Amino acid sequence: MIADTIISIQNIGKRFAAVKALDGVSFDVSRGELVAICGENGAGKSTLMKILSGVYTEYEGTIEIDGQPVRFTGTRDAEDAGISIIHQELNLVEQLSVAANIFLGREPRNRFGMRDDRAMQLRANELLRDLECSIDSRQLAGSLRVGDQQLVEIAKALSVNARILVMDEPTSALTESEVARLYRVIAKLRQRGTTILYISHKMEEVFHLSDRIVVLRDGRFITQRETKSMTPNEVTECMVGRSLDTIDLGPRGNRGEKLLEVKGLGLRWPGHARGYRLKDIGFELYAGEVLGIAGLMGAGRTELLESLFGASKETPSGEIYLCGKRIQPSHPKEAIEEGIALVTEDRKRLGIFTAMNVGRNISLCTLRGMRSGPLLSDQKERDAGASMVSKLKIKTDGLRASILSLSGGNQQKCIVGRWLLTNPKVLLLDDPTRGVDVGAKAELYRIIRELCNEGLGVIVTSSELPEILTLSDRVMVLNEGRQTAMFSREEATQAKIIQAAT
Amino acid sequence: MIPKPSLWRAIWGSVEFKLLLAWTAVVFITALLDSGHTYFYQPASSAELILRNTVLLGFFALGSSVIIISGGIDLSSGSVIALSATVFGALLILLDPEGFAKGSISTTAVLVAIAGTLLVGVMIGTLHAWLITAVGLPPFIATLATLVGLRSFGRALAPIMMNGKSQIDFPDRDLRNILKDVTSISILFVILAIIVWIVMSKTVTGRHLHAMGGNEQAARLSGIRTDRLKWFAYVLGAVTASIVGIISFADQGSAKPDIMARGYELNAIASSVIGGCSLQGGIGTIPGVVLGCLFLRTVIDAVSKIVGTGSDVYEGMIVGIVVVLAVTFSQRIDRASIKKYFSTPIGWASIPVLGITSGMALLLFFGNQAWYSPMKGILFGCFVTVCLAGRAWYETVIHKPK
Repeated sequence: MIADTIISIQNIGKRFAAVKALDGVSFDVSRGELVAICGENGAGKSTLMKILSGVYTEYEGTIEIDGQPVRFTGTRDAEDAGISIIHQELNLVEQLSVAANIFLGREPRNRFGMRDDRAMQLRANELLRDLECSIDSRQLAGSLRVGDQQLVEIAKALSVNARILVMDEPTSALTESEVARLYRVIAKLRQRGTTILYISHKMEEVFHLSDRIVVLRDGRFITQRETKSMTPNEVTECMVGRSLDTIDLGPRGNRGEKLLEVKGLGLRWPGHARGYRLKDIGFELYAGEVLGIAGLMGAGRTELLESLFGASKETPSGEIYLCGKRIQPSHPKEAIEEGIALVTEDRKRLGIFTAMNVGRNISLCTLRGMRSGPLLSDQKERDAGASMVSKLKIKTDGLRASILSLSGGNQQKCIVGRWLLTNPKVLLLDDPTRGVDVGAKAELYRIIRELCNEGLGVIVTSSELPEILTLSDRVMVLNEGRQTAMFSREEATQAKIIQAAT
Repeated sequence: MIPKPSLWRAIWGSVEFKLLLAWTAVVFITALLDSGHTYFYQPASSAELILRNTVLLGFFALGSSVIIISGGIDLSSGSVIALSATVFGALLILLDPEGFAKGSISTTAVLVAIAGTLLVGVMIGTLHAWLITAVGLPPFIATLATLVGLRSFGRALAPIMMNGKSQIDFPDRDLRNILKDVTSISILFVILAIIVWIVMSKTVTGRHLHAMGGNEQAARLSGIRTDRLKWFAYVLGAVTASIVGIISFADQGSAKPDIMARGYELNAIASSVIGGCSLQGGIGTIPGVVLGCLFLRTVIDAVSKIVGTGSDVYEGMIVGIVVVLAVTFSQRIDRASIKKYFSTPIGWASIPVLGITSGMALLLFFGNQAWYSPMKGILFGCFVTVCLAGRAWYETVIHKPK
């Protein structure tokens, strides 16, 4: 079928506990090709790439490289076969120099058997020059901007003579000029004949770069076609599984009273050239309304929510009014008492308590109300947990099941339940569907809509524009800590938002 | 919805049950092996000795374990004990100098001195919490500083109070007998242990301490005042150590700040770990810790019974071995796979180390026994080496790729 196949992926399957991340995925990649792997978060793109690059070693199915079946025992093994991966979350040792990072684990030795830092630096400079970037290889990796760090990772891949390069959403943290530079680097790599697997859900990039598009959804292979023969809309439809226009969350409730008003909110950033994380932010939030906050990584979305919640490191300047009353929360506890709740981004790091069961994860914020006398009442705690399990339709083996036995979507619902028990007036959701599969995502959308209809005000951030557009009544756009636009639902389009965000 | 895990299985799988089982085995084996069969013939005095040692360890192990569950560590307990004993003695001198000289101190002075010593504990705990939360030191560093600093403080204090003598002798025999009475300190310990148990398992504070130990950032973002919880934990740690300081002063008859309770902090940490606490924080129970103390003190006592004289020399070795074994066996065992203990390069290198250690241990422990001869030590060392090599070979065979 396809001439000169370099990778053949056959019937790959992978489970995580109860969740099937990949199920019978098969496709081929030809030598020198740039294949875009598309799919929503949780579609299985990253999982597949981690299998291909030896990060996950337990899976079903076979992978053939150059016609030979391979089964990598680790990333080193995959590198030896010429496959390198550049992860979405970069893997650099920040305390080491750029050169040391590039040669980590395969440091050159001199004739006395000592580590040869000079050779390492020279070779690293050579690699970086090849990539047309002006990074000094003696700098510490941690002192570089994200875009530069990514180039260091690419240089690292080149240093092992990678024939196949996997890039997992490489542009998610880049500025426009860095993206343009990355495009040039990719073009250069392709001239050398490197095969590239490019994961992204940004249509613009996919159509600019790729020869062919492979679409995954819910861990399954959906389609593969020449890029030229598809339109962005067709691709998104394949990714979502239905036409985008049909996502309908039912009737919207009426806009109620004004809940939250923010005036001239600012947040200092000591020790950074810009000097501020946020500057001059002002908006209002009404009951029954979803305000979406769009912006690139580093635009200040999380910082904004943290300032409202009293969780920021620095004390924010400006004024916050909740139901007409000025509030200045200096600790999340105070914000909770005022009626603000925050579902944090990065559920694993900031949300769940892995040593506690489902019930205790749900009850944590409202234990004071679950006492009889000075002691905790198991009964009250159980009732509260059970009410949330049924309200949010959390799929769990009971309240005593380990939180880790739940899928990402259900873990997230537990955390939403934890906050609903605090009876908030304003619910802040920071990228709530990250790492959640598509089905659970739709359910979370419905829950958010229902909560609004019950009279909550919701602020939601997301790294995915379609999500913002689906959920929001109004969209505020942040760019490098400043508010650059506010669109009504009718005005908001992807193009307008992207323009305001960059 | 789904069947709950059965009560029996929950008990069977718990650290507490396993410790009780192991403890029973140790007592039984000791009763048999001990040449004097002390456990049979003098059960009361044996029990009293073990109880006293367990309680003296248990008090501050309670504090230590709460700190560990909350995600911190307290290295300073031993020094806090020594300083508290010195402070208690100093306060007695200051409050009732005449009574101190005569050997009969007024009750008021004693009560005020106890309160003052416990207050010093509160102050030390507050200092720890301040260093950790406000200054931002890691708990290891903050309590390392007080580990060395407070003992030195005590050594400076003693000669000032005692006209140049480096220790304070306990002045009042009646008072001493009251303070070191095994029944009353045991009752006090049980009451304190039950209170701490209830606090940790049944109150909001306890749940929050567990949450903070499991994920501090997430706990803060859930509205938990983590700084205040840390204050609570470190104050409890220091105050329990102060209690031990007061009792030890009476028990030993003198406060010697230079050597008193040296290294005890590690015993408290060890018994917490034996009792099922995770040093990562978030996991552990108070009954487990109490049983951990009992188990540790019983094993130490058992060895001293079997070996005979000079047994305190072996205490460190025993604690080391028990900690390694307890944590190794409490790691979740994956039944499907045989763990590679010895079939790696480091594993092979460790086989002779363990063999030599075993042979030497036999020599050191039982050198004064009638049946002992150096040959037996060498043979035992060789035997252990061969056994471990056999295990390594077995692991290699099992893990050979098909």
